Amino acid sequence: MTWTDAFRLALRDSLRRRVRTGLTTLGVALGSGLLVALALITSAADAKVVDHLGQGGPITVVRVTDARPRLGQLDSDAFQVAGPHDLTDADLAAIRRAPHVARVIPVMTAPVVELPAQGGAFTDVLVGTDLAQARLLPITLLAGRLPAATSATEVAATTDFLEKTRGDAARPQTLLGDLVLISSPRVEPGGQVLTRSFRAVIVGVVSQEVADDGDFVVPLRQAAGARQWAAAGIGSSRFPQTSSPYSGAAVLASSLAEVHDVRAEISVLGFATSAPEHLVASVQQYLGIVNIVLGSIGSVALAVALLSVANALLAALHERRREIGVVKAIGGRDRDVLRWFLVEALGVGLAGGAAGAVAGVVIAELVGLAVNRYLVAHGLGSLDLIGIPVLIPLLGWLGTGMLAVAAGSLPSLHAARLPARAAVVET
Amino acid sequence: MVLRGVSHRYGAGRAAVTVLTGLDLDLPAGGYLALMGPSGAGKSTALALIGGLERPQQGTVVVGGYDLTRLTGDALATYRRRTVGFVFQHFGLLGTLTAHENVALAMALDGLGAAERRARAQDLLDAVGLGPRAQHFPAALSGGERQRVAIARALANRPRLILADEPTGNLDAGATGVVLDLLASLRTEHGCGLLVVTHNPLVARRADTVRELVNGRLSSP
Repeated sequence: MTWTDAFRLALRDSLRRRVRTGLTTLGVALGSGLLVALALITSAADAKVVDHLGQGGPITVVRVTDARPRLGQLDSDAFQVAGPHDLTDADLAAIRRAPHVARVIPVMTAPVVELPAQGGAFTDVLVGTDLAQARLLPITLLAGRLPAATSATEVAATTDFLEKTRGDAARPQTLLGDLVLISSPRVEPGGQVLTRSFRAVIVGVVSQEVADDGDFVVPLRQAAGARQWAAAGIGSSRFPQTSSPYSGAAVLASSLAEVHDVRAEISVLGFATSAPEHLVASVQQYLGIVNIVLGSIGSVALAVALLSVANALLAALHERRREIGVVKAIGGRDRDVLRWFLVEALGVGLAGGAAGAVAGVVIAELVGLAVNRYLVAHGLGSLDLIGIPVLIPLLGWLGTGMLAVAAGSLPSLHAARLPARAAVVET
Repeated sequence: MVLRGVSHRYGAGRAAVTVLTGLDLDLPAGGYLALMGPSGAGKSTALALIGGLERPQQGTVVVGGYDLTRLTGDALATYRRRTVGFVFQHFGLLGTLTAHENVALAMALDGLGAAERRARAQDLLDAVGLGPRAQHFPAALSGGERQRVAIARALANRPRLILADEPTGNLDAGATGVVLDLLASLRTEHGCGLLVVTHNPLVARRADTVRELVNGRLSSP
């Protein structure tokens, strides 16, 4: 008997018992759908949580500051600073050469005075970095866009600035298009403060973890110019000067597992570092437990559904004893009968798995919409379930088919071993 | 077909029931033998042993040159597929397949190509007068028609021997005549032997030879 013959026979037999086949398929669909939905939701939640811990940028970013590390730096995710340590181009080159370092992006901060159109004056901090590599940095865009990498007239305001000027962090788009006059101060020996200003438009609002403080994110060159102007003076307590050419750097480790080693290398070079490695590890541990619990619930549901496949096949075996005997009496081999029953199990599994995969995606989307609404309402971003990975429903579908075959293998073997005599003596 | 000293029993120990004792039976190629006897005489068991549905416990069964005591597994399935054809009292048609598909199934099991089996199944159904009803399911056929489909299926792989177990047991008088006529004419046409198990003397009368089983033994030589 060919696979096509077995398929035709199995299909006709399944259709003969429509209600039973329908209920069995529904059971499989529910089990598989639940598992697919849980897998999609946990995978999206994992990505979101880990992403959030990475502050929008890759989770493998290690922040470096222009300071020496204190003993025990590597036991803490935050900077443990012992004292200032100039961060030079030579140091950045040394970090770049360290093992497991994929990228080093310098960061420069400069104190500025900002004069808003509505009056007043704020002391702010410019954060300059290579915006061409912004996607690798811990910068989350909340509204608008980032300044062009070489622009001298565009800035992105940070949430610090938003709170300072609007007092409402929930509406970042209200800042977009505002013009700001940013002045770099130079403190002369006599105490006189000279300024050099530039007018810029706020093109975006970001949440950033590139530097500890910061009101505007600008191209590195913009911050370097402000520093250079201020460096000609003597500085003051309000506008302190630093001898370090760079205030920090964002260092990308080649993988999450290498973050600790990269931090250790940078500590050896004499710089304090910060990375959420311990936090990520504990969160991943908790997420792992949640995944196991949810996965177990889904697996139990699927197992129950697969037992119904085995049960349906056993019922079919009982009903078709004589038919199986007849097939054997007219020359069918054990493997012909085995194929007939396994194809039937596979058919139910694939049909239920397909329905389950679709249902799982729909359930995950609905849950995602509800969670999105909650997260957006609380200013926490959103779960990206729109770009659902195809692999999970696909694996759910194929896996359910395979598991149904496994569940049906025992009844199928039983059917295959029925004696041909069943054709004449058993009913 | 040659049976020598065939004995068979079911169960074991005190519950054992002997159904055949030292059965000797012969049927020349192309011959027509009727095996008669009351219920429980061992007729169906004899048929099952000759058809390879069961393995002989004692004695020898040789059909078409095959010693059934030596055949097992796939070899026995091949024997059933190519050497014998079954006609059951209950027709033994698969309810989910059409008449045409039921006949073609026997050929599919033998690995015949789709086109060839389609054509041959139609020829066989034409031969039993059911060509126009080839696409009907068994539930839509009368008892006599179902048995004619079963006869067509039995001939599908050109067997050397047709084994019919009470082929008219579920048929009325009119259908009985049609089926018996058909069996006799197709036997001649296809040149195969025919062994009919029956307790109906009217059916047995058509055979070349009639043997009677009583309590697992032949009642007369």
